[in-house]
Amino acid sequence: MSSHRLPIRSSELIDRSTSLSFTWNGRAYVGHEGDTIASALAAAGVEVFSRGMKYHRRRGILTANHWDPNLSVQVGDEPNVRAGSRRLVDGMQVSAQNVWPSLRWDLGTANRLVGRFLSVGFYYKTFMRPQFLWHNLYQRILRKFAPGGRVNWKTGTHGEYDKRYAHPDVLVAGGGPAGVAAALSAAEAGASVMLVEQEPELGGHLRWGGPDDLAVLADLRQAVYSTPAIEVLCDSIVTGRYDHNWVAVLQRSHEVAPERLIKARVGSLIVAPGLVERPYVFAGNDIPGVMLAGAVRRLINLWAVKPGSRAVVLSANSEGDAAVLDLESAGVEVVAVLDARAGEDVVEARGRGRVSSVQTGDGRILRADLLVTATGWTAPTSLLNMAGDRPVYDKVAARYFPQALPDNVLATGGIAGDGSTTELTAHGRETGLLAAQRALRLRHDRRAQTPRSPAPESDRPAAIADSRIPLRRSPHPECYRSTTHGLVDYSEDVSSKDLIQAAGEGFDSIELMKRYTTVTMGPGQGKLETVNAAAVLAEAMAVEMADIGTTVWRPPFSPVSLGALAGRIFEPVRRSALQDWHEANGATNLLAGQWVRPDHYGDPMAEASNVRENVGLIDVTPLGKLDLRGPDVANLLDLVYVNRWQKLEVGRVRYGAMVAEDGVVSDDGVTGRLAEDHYLMTTTSSGAGAVWEMLEDWLQTYRPDWEVHVTPVTGGLTSINVAGPRSRELLERLVDNVDLSADAFPYFSVRTGIVAGVADCIIWRIGFTGELSYEVHVPSGHALHVWESLLSNGSDLGVAPFGIEAQRILRLEKGHYIVGQDTDGLSKAPTAGLDGLVRLDKADTIGLPELRAAFERTDLPVLVGLQPDDPTIVPDEACQIVEAGSNQILGRVTSSRMSPTLERSICLAQVDPSLAAAGTSVTVQLVDGRRITATVQEHHAHVDPEGARQRV
Amino acid sequence: MSELEFVSPVASGPLSAAGGGISLEDVSDRTKVLVRAGRDTAAGTHLKVTYGRSRRRRDGALICGSRPDEWTLLADPGQGTELLASLPDEGFVSVVDITHGRAMFRLSGLDTVGVLAKVCNIDLTDDMTPDGAVFSGSVAKVTCDLVRNDLADRRSYLVSCERSFGAYLFAAIADACSEFGIDVPADLTIH
Repeated sequence: MSSHRLPIRSSELIDRSTSLSFTWNGRAYVGHEGDTIASALAAAGVEVFSRGMKYHRRRGILTANHWDPNLSVQVGDEPNVRAGSRRLVDGMQVSAQNVWPSLRWDLGTANRLVGRFLSVGFYYKTFMRPQFLWHNLYQRILRKFAPGGRVNWKTGTHGEYDKRYAHPDVLVAGGGPAGVAAALSAAEAGASVMLVEQEPELGGHLRWGGPDDLAVLADLRQAVYSTPAIEVLCDSIVTGRYDHNWVAVLQRSHEVAPERLIKARVGSLIVAPGLVERPYVFAGNDIPGVMLAGAVRRLINLWAVKPGSRAVVLSANSEGDAAVLDLESAGVEVVAVLDARAGEDVVEARGRGRVSSVQTGDGRILRADLLVTATGWTAPTSLLNMAGDRPVYDKVAARYFPQALPDNVLATGGIAGDGSTTELTAHGRETGLLAAQRALRLRHDRRAQTPRSPAPESDRPAAIADSRIPLRRSPHPECYRSTTHGLVDYSEDVSSKDLIQAAGEGFDSIELMKRYTTVTMGPGQGKLETVNAAAVLAEAMAVEMADIGTTVWRPPFSPVSLGALAGRIFEPVRRSALQDWHEANGATNLLAGQWVRPDHYGDPMAEASNVRENVGLIDVTPLGKLDLRGPDVANLLDLVYVNRWQKLEVGRVRYGAMVAEDGVVSDDGVTGRLAEDHYLMTTTSSGAGAVWEMLEDWLQTYRPDWEVHVTPVTGGLTSINVAGPRSRELLERLVDNVDLSADAFPYFSVRTGIVAGVADCIIWRIGFTGELSYEVHVPSGHALHVWESLLSNGSDLGVAPFGIEAQRILRLEKGHYIVGQDTDGLSKAPTAGLDGLVRLDKADTIGLPELRAAFERTDLPVLVGLQPDDPTIVPDEACQIVEAGSNQILGRVTSSRMSPTLERSICLAQVDPSLAAAGTSVTVQLVDGRRITATVQEHHAHVDPEGARQRV
Repeated sequence: MSELEFVSPVASGPLSAAGGGISLEDVSDRTKVLVRAGRDTAAGTHLKVTYGRSRRRRDGALICGSRPDEWTLLADPGQGTELLASLPDEGFVSVVDITHGRAMFRLSGLDTVGVLAKVCNIDLTDDMTPDGAVFSGSVAKVTCDLVRNDLADRRSYLVSCERSFGAYLFAAIADACSEFGIDVPADLTIH
């Protein structure tokens, strides 16, 4: 391979003392530290980097930076890497994307044979009929042609992505001369600054400038890096600006993650991205060897790469003129310089794998392998659009400019106007000062309003007017398209001819045309294409550019990987104080909401039977627990529960159910009165947070005069249910100061005492299993001691732990319903069988009007106990109950299990009221389609409906 | 039950970076008492700390203004009885010992702001969150109370959460510390 590396350039970024080995399509290459993938390959003589999306024409370097549409490559298992900006790393395996079988011999070129059928709107027009082929054929084939690389999600080696938050006073998007100057002056004014630059080094266009530019750049860099108040993020990009100056920054190549998303809350945002050089539209403008002036300047000056041998330059501005000088200094023969300002033009580039000749506007054919165009600039106003601005077109300067910005967003640098380096940095400094002043006023206000911050020592900074002298707008010819047609969108293979056709078909608004043709919708998101597309549409419609308008640029400014958006995945998990013990003793876990819980310890049926015959222990810590204190607790309970609470005595417990304001059952639990003004409320495990919020909401907004304090104590009290006929016997061995006899401690009572030497335990005589049982709430730091004491002291009583599955069996045998499982988002109190509990004559209860209305209805579903006639069949939960002989749905099974006590299947079900009478036979449709019969039971409880086992 | 060992929700011992830039320690065994009272009550007057700020009492207890009309008192292990007894109880006052209900960690060192910035969206600059500041926020998606409580000019934060989240949160903060030099044990994983 021939070397295109030039002798040492004063501004080059490469370290020639290093050699980095890498492969390109399987072939070995060597580059230097500081090379991009593209520069290293170009230095080695590689000219073709990709193929066009639709016609698979060869593509070479166009812009030689991050926005180059022709330089998307696969690196290892990472797709869509921007080879124009990604720095070379030793050992990289780089390959071309979207080609088969190879970049050189790509069968996709066959598309050119049918090119005339692949016109604009091809997809919409071609794959309409027959409709059934869309899924079976069309979609599969089209996917084969989808651009982009491949993600191998099974063998991905990216590691973890990351996120972090930041709160700079000023964030500067763009590290060119104006951006750097703005950052410095903002920091000097006392602001904290985040300076974000998408290239790996600061400087913008100064980097490839002359000695004077390099001297200025060196000073700016030295100043920035010696200013502690400025955090510099290179190889990073601001991807979006959202409400209240919430700014997203994508930090690449961080040492702990391939990409990190920074969520910055910013006082002032300074938008200083510079300008993006736009291509020129003419026949053959995508042939390798056609480059923008900025590309050749970067290749020559930053990476010492000779971009060609014989060049034709079309120049409409100083960048083109400077490119001529750079080419000559690099030993490139400049065959012709065509001055677009004087009306000179290029109409066609010719060549197969590389430009071989150029036809000029006056008919000359020039032999050349490089055609350089410098025809104007696009202002990347995306961040300004996101702040609400609609930039306006200036015909004289031939580009768009900001129009109206909110106070907390400012623009500087090329996006705001033209100027020398001195003028740009001066404007940047003024902008930085203004931004800092506004941000510091905001910070002053925040400090004054934030309780944790001390009051500001100084007065609020005075507002200063925006007295910046605007940058000038230099005249520039409107150079968009030659007399021939060429590509407008390189990523999407959309030509000027396509756009004119779309306009002819009626898609004559820029927004409609964009969506119909997909112009500007590729990875570049319009950076190179938007203005040319608008110009072609203006031409087609015979109107001025200013009348065309622009498309709306939305986040992200640059594509963001899904990994960066996901960042570190935080999924909080709650563990009881006994969870380590469960896991060490063979528990199989279950994730119930955020709680990890023991589902069983090997044999849930045996665990359930042991509770019926001996005594079992279950960890029910997730049960919601709220400590209620104050003289108005009973009023609060009266308000939130459907039953009465004024007469609950100290030491007694009452069951309560809550409904929401629409009358739907929302939660339930028991509440015990521990002292005169002290209660402990329990809620469902999943409802604890919502109930707490609801109580606080009522107390803080609707009943602020009530004296009630609510404190959540769920995790602080480890809850152990001791259940089974021998539970009293077991507890008597460990409880010191509480009489556990049936008379002294009856069902639905609560006591405070010492258990296994642990004080301040709360002992409830309640249960969910239908057996004699006690629920012991233990201060969690001592819970393991109590749990192990219960086990060691009850070995002769047959004590054993049981898990959630055994508890579900036992509670279903007993017929206890679970809110959210046996009820749903429509279940009102009558459905849940709360007739005996609800007091409709109370003065107030949440949902009372709806409760009253519900009890007047006769059409609400009814929760019933149900037993399949075939006792061996356990219908899956949610199986439908249907009318025999039809598919009319009359209910559903809400809970089902095999009962070890009855040795048969048992269920709870919601049924139509016509089926609710005991003895009614219903039809249940199983998951496999079979239908079985089942009989409605007299009670919800299948075992001990009278409650004799638990009231001993 | 002073003879009984307090079992923390966190099994790990203290973690620290070799360079001393960051350290993370479980201090869940510290006494924590929640006081809710109106500012016009004797308890409110006695505590003398406004919402968002904290102060060290003569007996060593740290009084934190956690929320309007709510304080959290932090003290050495086993001080619950003394703390409860130290508070006037006239008027409508609730005092709840939440020692067992809250996990608490101390994060110290120069890199604490960097660590917390990975898991918490609060502005921790000195002027917004000076030493003594008390605030609440989401830390690795867990609702937490935080106190900036510097130790001899070493920046330090107390982070507390509902006890059951303790093991997860300690692992999540340790994970954030790994960027700053803490070698996180393999069993401390957030996934």
